[in-house]
Amino acid sequence: MESPAPPVTRRPISYALVFLVLAIITAVELGVKGLGLPRAATNVLFLLLSLGKATMVAAFYMHLRRDSRMYTAIFLLPVILFVVFALLTIVI
Amino acid sequence: MEYTKPMHEDAFRAGRALGLDHLKLGVWLFIGSEVMFFGGLIAAFLFYKVNNPTPESALLDVGLVGINTFVLLASSLTVVSALAAVGRGDVASMNLYLIATIVLGVAFLSGQAYEFVSLFRHGLTLSSSVFGSSFFTLTGFHGLHVLVGVAWALSTFFRGMRGNYTRDEHIGVEVFGLYWHFVDIVWIVLFTVIYLI
Repeated sequence: MESPAPPVTRRPISYALVFLVLAIITAVELGVKGLGLPRAATNVLFLLLSLGKATMVAAFYMHLRRDSRMYTAIFLLPVILFVVFALLTIVI
Repeated sequence: MEYTKPMHEDAFRAGRALGLDHLKLGVWLFIGSEVMFFGGLIAAFLFYKVNNPTPESALLDVGLVGINTFVLLASSLTVVSALAAVGRGDVASMNLYLIATIVLGVAFLSGQAYEFVSLFRHGLTLSSSVFGSSFFTLTGFHGLHVLVGVAWALSTFFRGMRGNYTRDEHIGVEVFGLYWHFVDIVWIVLFTVIYLI
């Protein structure tokens, strides 16, 4: 008879470490902005870094990483709608 | 140490059929509606920015706003640290972290006020141009949310001082934190949309 699988455990994350990563990303953003590179080259980078920072805050500080998926759905649905409408305003 | 939420094993019998706290669910629904609110404002700003490149955006002080961004990120750290503190029963530390949050929130608002005054002196006002209208509407509403957050932090602090929060009952701290982190996320997006791209 097989023994039941051990429960999946996650190592506690350090909130200070999350802050450090967020601060470093922000410093990188400011540094890249200061270089004065062409916007076409940096805009995608800034948007991706921003998405990464927002995701980190939601996942680790708002605890969506391990809270009910219902909360994630409530949060993500309007975010997806916003992204669609924002893209429409740019494309059309 | 990471915050661990208290277990609600009798959630179903207590009337929470989904096992979700009603207050927390309500705050998440409110946050969902706020996403649409700010989404509309950001989409309007983007529409204007894409179709009307303007030299007025050169008036924006990215360095000052960068410092303000660090301040708001730090305030998110103090809020989540307050929640972790009360989660392990350390109410005194929670109160200290809440005070730090209030100080950082006021510092952010002060930085924003300084930025607004500087822009006014350069002739950029709410009614001077479409850029001014969309910029001040967007950042002003965010600042208003930070102000509400500071008031909420004060309320949470005083409730903490009165001993209303314990290791097992501190949902008030958690929902305040959700609101504050959401305001932080909005700023992360605004910082990119308005000042970086």
